[in-house]
Amino acid sequence: MEFKQVLGNRRSIRYFEPDKPVEKEKIQTMLEAANRASRSGNIDYWKALVVYRDDLDAETLDALRVPTTTADLDLAPVQIYFFADCSYADPANFRKNLKELVTLGALNPSHGWSDAYVDENVVGQIITPMLSDPAVVGWMGTIETGLAISSAMLTAVDEGLGCCLHAVNMETAKQVFKYPDHWIPCWTLLVGYPAEDPLTGGQRPRRSISSLAFMNNLDTPFEEDPAVTEKLKAQGLIQNEIDADKRAAEVRQLARRFGLPE
Amino acid sequence: MNPEEVAAAPSVVRWFDSARLHSDTDDEKQLRLTLLGGFCDHYGQSPDELAAGLTRTTKAGESAISAKRRAAVDAAIDEFVEKSGFTGRDAVVNGNMIRSFLVHNGIFIQGRAWRG
Repeated sequence: MEFKQVLGNRRSIRYFEPDKPVEKEKIQTMLEAANRASRSGNIDYWKALVVYRDDLDAETLDALRVPTTTADLDLAPVQIYFFADCSYADPANFRKNLKELVTLGALNPSHGWSDAYVDENVVGQIITPMLSDPAVVGWMGTIETGLAISSAMLTAVDEGLGCCLHAVNMETAKQVFKYPDHWIPCWTLLVGYPAEDPLTGGQRPRRSISSLAFMNNLDTPFEEDPAVTEKLKAQGLIQNEIDADKRAAEVRQLARRFGLPE
Repeated sequence: MNPEEVAAAPSVVRWFDSARLHSDTDDEKQLRLTLLGGFCDHYGQSPDELAAGLTRTTKAGESAISAKRRAAVDAAIDEFVEKSGFTGRDAVVNGNMIRSFLVHNGIFIQGRAWRG
């Protein structure tokens, strides 16, 4: 699928084909995409745990439910737990990765980087002060993990899958999966083949970018060029908004199929 | 409670309006009302009491759902469904039919899905 079409086709899928297996190959592809996401300092912030629903016993699946994620756990064949691994908060790890980037030429003298700077000054001047603030440590890990999640989600769309981010009972997840204390739970991505129209009749409403983005100063909205907008429509990035009546009919049919509240 | 009494409750009118259930067949409507009435008898509250009893007022004076009471009602729905002898798909569908009444009265609650 063309890249802009992938961006335009992504939806939060809430009805999955519960018994259509998701190929491990596709999950691997999603994880490789996550692993290619932008990441400051080339640090491995993101961690993921892939769980196939049918590999969990019924008791565990029940215990993972929360009021906002109940039916979804029945319907999604795969759960991917994303974490921000805070071991990067150790300055030695940070320095090791920066050193590698300097050695490989990703960080360059043309931009002020050198072995000597990394060896002698960067830890004391930048990294240690930065990582001494728990809010910064949490912010860094979660935002970088979010970038990885985004890549995984878009790749799912490209692979013909559907996905949606959820919160599950992380107390249960901690007990069952025993992830380390220094991993911050971010989101659980539920994955499967959509049982709903994967385009759900149109995109969710989005406010115009001129109401969200600015040019040079915050008094000047970023003005869209109508010709660009039309081009993006043609490329599938901007699509018609969801038709509420058609969607209601689809939801009712799906609710009946899965015995869910109408 | 008989279906006529259930149907007259404002919370049930709200449910039918919000879920667009008026276009259902008479049999479907009767099934919903009978189920909800049976659950209300089981739980010892009218539909209006049931819906209203799941909210509380926050210190800031705003309405919020009581998580504890919601969990209790959720468990009572499962209990009622089992006591009524429903199994398999019927158990899931009929439990979720009662949850639908709560959903359309502002109580966020989800049921399990039937996978067949």
